[in-house]
Amino acid sequence: MTAAVAQVRLSPPPVAQEDLARADMYALIARLLYAPDEQLLRAIATTDEIVAETANAPLAEAWRALASAAESCDAQTVKDEYEKLFIGVGRPEVMLFGSYYLAGFMMEKPLALLRDDLAQMGLARNESVCEPEDHFSALCDVMRYLIIGDESRDAASLEQQKQFFSRNLQIWYQRFCDAVLESKSANFYKHVARFIKVFFNIESESFEML
Amino acid sequence: MAENKSRLSRRNFLLAVGAGGAGAAAAMLAKGVPQAETKAQTEDEAKSKGYHASEHIRNYYRTTKV
Repeated sequence: MTAAVAQVRLSPPPVAQEDLARADMYALIARLLYAPDEQLLRAIATTDEIVAETANAPLAEAWRALASAAESCDAQTVKDEYEKLFIGVGRPEVMLFGSYYLAGFMMEKPLALLRDDLAQMGLARNESVCEPEDHFSALCDVMRYLIIGDESRDAASLEQQKQFFSRNLQIWYQRFCDAVLESKSANFYKHVARFIKVFFNIESESFEML
Repeated sequence: MAENKSRLSRRNFLLAVGAGGAGAAAAMLAKGVPQAETKAQTEDEAKSKGYHASEHIRNYYRTTKV
C-alpha cells in the first residue's frame, strides 16, 4: 500500500522563466562544443535577437555575432574547424576537458572528484558516450539537468547549481575560452567562445547574488 | 525575506542582461535548435531499447538507481 502511494509523483514545481532560458543556453553550448552540424547552424542563424533591458548588452552582441557567423559559415567548414581545434591529429589545439586545466593532465584527480559529485547527485555517464565526464559539453548537460530536472526529479536548488558550477566550470571556462580566442585556427569558434564567456560571466555574477 | 529579495534581484539582473527572457533562449527552442534530450535515460529503457547514438541526442547522463 505504502509502496503504491510512494510511486505517485506530484507534478514538479514550475521552473522559473529565467531558469528555463538558462537551461536552453547550456543545452545550446553543449551542442556547439560537441558536434556542430548544418541543422544547428541554420537554427542559430535564424533565431531572434536576444532582448536585453540594457543597451549594448554584451550577451546580445555576442549572440548577434554568433548568429551572423552561423549564417556565413557552411557546416563542413565548421566541422573541419571543430576537428582541427578540439580533436586534432595527436594533440588537439584546445582541450575540452576540465582536468587538463585543473591538473595539467587528462583523467586526473579533478575527474575523480567530479565523478564523486555526480554519483552523489545520482548521475552517471551514459554508456554510449565515450568522452570523460569533464568534457565541456557534459558539464553543461549536467547544469541543464540540474536547472530543469526531469520527470523523476525536481530541479536542483540554485545553491546546488552554484556549487556544481563553481567547482567544475567556473575555475577553467575563461582559460578555455581565451585559448579558443587566441587560436589561429579558430574562426566560427571564436564567436562561440565569446558567447560562452559572456554567458558564464553572467552566471558567475548571478550566483554571487544568492 | 532576505532570501526572496536576493532571488528577485538575481532575476532582475538576468532579465536586464538578456539571459533570462523568453526572447533569449526559449525562442531558439521554438525554432528548432536540436536540444539535448531532456528525458534522462532510465536503466530499464537502456536495456529494452538500446540507445541510439545520434548527433541529435545529447544526453550524457542518466539517473542511476543508487
